[in-house]
Amino acid sequence: MKLDWSPEDIAFREELRGFLDASAPAEALHRDFANSEGDEIIPDWARQWQATLFDHGWMIPGYPPDLGGRDCTPVQTLVYLDEMASRGILRSLHFPGYAIVAPSLLDFGTPEQRALAPAAIRGDTVWCIGMSEPNAGSDLAGLQTRADVFDDRFVVNGQKVWTSYAMVAEKCFCYVRTDRDVPKHRGISLLIIDMDTPGIEIRPLRHINGSAEFAEVFFTDVVVPRENLVGELNGGWHITQGSLAHERAGLWVESVSRLEHTVDALVALAREVGAADDPAARRELATVYEGAASLRALGYKGFASFAQGAAAPEHSYMKLATSELVKTCFELGMKLQGAFGAVVDPERGAENGRWPRSFFVSFASTIAGGSSEIQRNIIATRVLGLPRS
Amino acid sequence: MDFSLTPEQDLLRATARQLLSAECPPSLLRSHIDDRSAAASLHTRLREFAGLGDSELADLCLFLEETGYVAAPGPFFATTALFAPTLAALGHDLLDAVLDGTVTGTVALAGHDGAWVANADATKTFVPDADLVDRVAIVSSDGIRLVDSAPLRLVPTLDTTRRFFEVDTTALDDAASDAAPRRVEPSVVADVVERATVALAAEMVGTARRLFDMTLAYAKERVQFDVPIGSFQAIQHKLADVSLGVERAQSAVQYAAMCVDAGSPERHRAAHVAKAAAGSAATRAAKDGIQIHGGIGYTWEHDLHFFIRRAYASEHWMGTTGWHHDRLAALLFT
Repeated sequence: MKLDWSPEDIAFREELRGFLDASAPAEALHRDFANSEGDEIIPDWARQWQATLFDHGWMIPGYPPDLGGRDCTPVQTLVYLDEMASRGILRSLHFPGYAIVAPSLLDFGTPEQRALAPAAIRGDTVWCIGMSEPNAGSDLAGLQTRADVFDDRFVVNGQKVWTSYAMVAEKCFCYVRTDRDVPKHRGISLLIIDMDTPGIEIRPLRHINGSAEFAEVFFTDVVVPRENLVGELNGGWHITQGSLAHERAGLWVESVSRLEHTVDALVALAREVGAADDPAARRELATVYEGAASLRALGYKGFASFAQGAAAPEHSYMKLATSELVKTCFELGMKLQGAFGAVVDPERGAENGRWPRSFFVSFASTIAGGSSEIQRNIIATRVLGLPRS
Repeated sequence: MDFSLTPEQDLLRATARQLLSAECPPSLLRSHIDDRSAAASLHTRLREFAGLGDSELADLCLFLEETGYVAAPGPFFATTALFAPTLAALGHDLLDAVLDGTVTGTVALAGHDGAWVANADATKTFVPDADLVDRVAIVSSDGIRLVDSAPLRLVPTLDTTRRFFEVDTTALDDAASDAAPRRVEPSVVADVVERATVALAAEMVGTARRLFDMTLAYAKERVQFDVPIGSFQAIQHKLADVSLGVERAQSAVQYAAMCVDAGSPERHRAAHVAKAAAGSAATRAAKDGIQIHGGIGYTWEHDLHFFIRRAYASEHWMGTTGWHHDRLAALLFT
């Protein structure tokens, strides 16, 4: 047990701070969420920022330099994610390429496919993920987009939905059904599909905050070369778990650090709107502070288990708890403002409607990436060992 | 930053678990209701660990999580978490005898409102296990003094495992007291209380974990509609939330103990977070625990209620969750 960081890790943080102070563009700072109302989907500054991070070894610091990193330790990755998130800095405005596609290609791809990873991490190639479908949300393995298998090609027909960045993506990491005669998890394959292939139609899907980084993607007789299969035929389900394995143990700290930042902002807001002496408001603020602080401690505990090679069930809890607390915090920001809680005006209410806008975006946090209900199912069956219903 | 336990800490926890599961089964808690001597041998065994009263708080917390798990009766908490730190703060020469297990003690500090904040009230409240100890440290605004005996009034609570007393300080026998109160800085008293608060939170995490473990086991074995009730989502989601609360509280307590041991400026906030998180977790585990047990949990014969009692009495001792939230808010707005 040790409360302090090691001198090496402190030096690592100082080097990062120096880099961020000198290089982070103003637009990259203090962002509650990746995409806000009215933004371009991937503005130029964001492309440049991601490339700059890659070129300086700060994009995925746990990776080697040719993959945008500096071979840092897991603890230093934790420090990196914490420092970035505490400043509200995002590495990228499009996560699929660096966070999901590149690690999966590096683990499962052919040499030609692995060569696509650096550009995915640097953001030079924009990727989307073809996963969810109208009838495959929480039940992802129920996906129905089919690929007929021929010797030299696949022919894809079907529909994907909630496909983030599809309208700007050059490539799609697409999960398709290649065998309908086996239990559903076993008949899924993963294909790389060029988004300019004939037969692909993209319809933007605006989300409730008004921005449109989502899309529906329709595939009609889309021909995909056989060499674009990633991993084994019918072996795609295993790759769905592909994310940054070496960062997974520390990813919680991004959510926690942003939460702490939000709690600080709530305290400032309470002062500004004259709620600092309201007993009920004070208790609610203390409660969300307790929530964020206890989650940081739980994250550290899980990280310690992970570092010792033990199973770390703590991580199963982090997604559930942080996403629920995010919603609570932004809603509290509205409550503190009383009559002005729902105002989204630049001159009335606080911070140009930051709190109600962010509250709306935060609905996604307990739905996307496995809803809170799915998370509780996972905790109950996989962590607590309860029988499946 | 490293939350992993040292091999010595692993051993301490394993030793505590083994000892307490053998020495403090629910049947002891049951006999203890009418016959307090039933726990005498447990008290004796726990004296071997009195040295934890002067150890790192993190080590004491590990041990107390296990005493909380079995809802251990007796003066071990009062001696190690309250009395020994008070003597250490005074530089009192009785400390050695306490740490080697020869002398037990408790602390009388809270005034008429029950808050563990230094005060001038003549009647001290919520003094734990004062009838079982050799000495009582009476903390007043004019200082601290030790007494061999004091007029006690038992104030029963829901809890049958730990008993609380009022001490009337106007009727102390001067012959049985230190000559004069020893003056201490208010911050010294606050530090002792902060330490004890984190220690109590650790104990509560243990009680919460016991409630959760009993409930999880019951959900796996109780069959209704031809299936274990733990296969129903309504039960699963409750248990997922209870376990999350226990995990959070346990981590928050560990963090607070580490902060106190390091003298970190974070320790004041962390201590309030720890007690609040432990209180929420324990009361949640109690309420959902009895709900999931259904009718059997409502019977006197079932052991669940010992831990529900302990959980609620501890939630209301040394500051409720709401009280700690108020204190935390005061720190957030300074």
